[in-house]
Amino acid sequence: MKTDIRFTHQALVEKCKTGHSSSQYELYELYVDAMYNIGRRMLNSKEDAEDIVQESFVSAFRNLNSFNYESTFGAWLKRIVINKSINYLKKKQLPVVPMEVHEFHLSEDSPEEKVDVIDIKKVKVGIGLLPAGYKQIINLYLIEGYDHIEIGEVLGISTSTSKSQYHRAKKKLVEIINAL
Amino acid sequence: MDNFEKHIRENASEFDEHKADRSKMWAKISQELEVEEPKVIPLWKSPMLRIAATLLLLLGLAGFMGKQIFGNSGETQYASKELLDIDMHYKGLVSYQVQLVQNNPNLSEEDKAEFLSFMDELDAEYEQLRIEMQSNLDNERVLEAIVSNYKQRIELIENLLKQINDSKLNDDDYGYTL
Repeated sequence: MKTDIRFTHQALVEKCKTGHSSSQYELYELYVDAMYNIGRRMLNSKEDAEDIVQESFVSAFRNLNSFNYESTFGAWLKRIVINKSINYLKKKQLPVVPMEVHEFHLSEDSPEEKVDVIDIKKVKVGIGLLPAGYKQIINLYLIEGYDHIEIGEVLGISTSTSKSQYHRAKKKLVEIINAL
Repeated sequence: MDNFEKHIRENASEFDEHKADRSKMWAKISQELEVEEPKVIPLWKSPMLRIAATLLLLLGLAGFMGKQIFGNSGETQYASKELLDIDMHYKGLVSYQVQLVQNNPNLSEEDKAEFLSFMDELDAEYEQLRIEMQSNLDNERVLEAIVSNYKQRIELIENLLKQINDSKLNDDDYGYTL
């Protein structure tokens, strides 16, 4: 019996591959909230998040045969949602990475501020107040748990750019949280 | 990763604060899934197209090879015509002179046989050059070798005839002095 985490819901996934609709619904129920929340974080809009999540499920079910358990089904689906969200933002010409201008307002040498009390509620508010370009990278790294290689792939930037942009974004977030 | 980052990552689930409108969203998803997606069959997967592509490839290859072999037909014709002219010119000269040698009453059978054996050797060389010419038509050196082969034959004949005439002349002179 396979105990590898990648094979979570394997039986269900395999049934879905055959087009079994009640299995598709079962799988949808398991993941829809998580995916919807990713969409909400990425797009900041209920309607846009719904559209992107719907599209992502349709795309996932149609292309399920290409899913070969190289990751968990959840991670695979999450990547679809994130990619579709980024593409949507790019289409709407919304910044997905911080604009160059922001870089001149930040001093590289200033010591990073410390957050004394880490209140998740404050962090949520702080992320909400971040400039558009910073939000995505903070979400991807801190909440979605992506590393800089993955972020680079998703945003179409280099790993080093991802690292530097993330550090700037984090610094900004800490400043905002401390000011709350 | 500092404590701030660790703390957020460990509590990432707290950021999932929204509930999706499941039934509304599923209605749209199932509706989309019911619509048969137009099947895109990659061209290379169709057996008929595969056969057609193979035939096309074979035809192309055959055409290419044909062109390589016969492609320079214009040049070949030109070169062949040139060769034919040379061949005709020298063949005529050679056969005329060979005839002269053979009909010459002043030559012994041995001399004639020796001469003809030289001619045979040059004939064999000429045949070799013709074969070489077929596979290596553009080779100027082969053409030059053919011409040189003819020239040697003519030279050989001319030398022989000169020799005969000289001896005749000597005989005549000798006759006159007598």
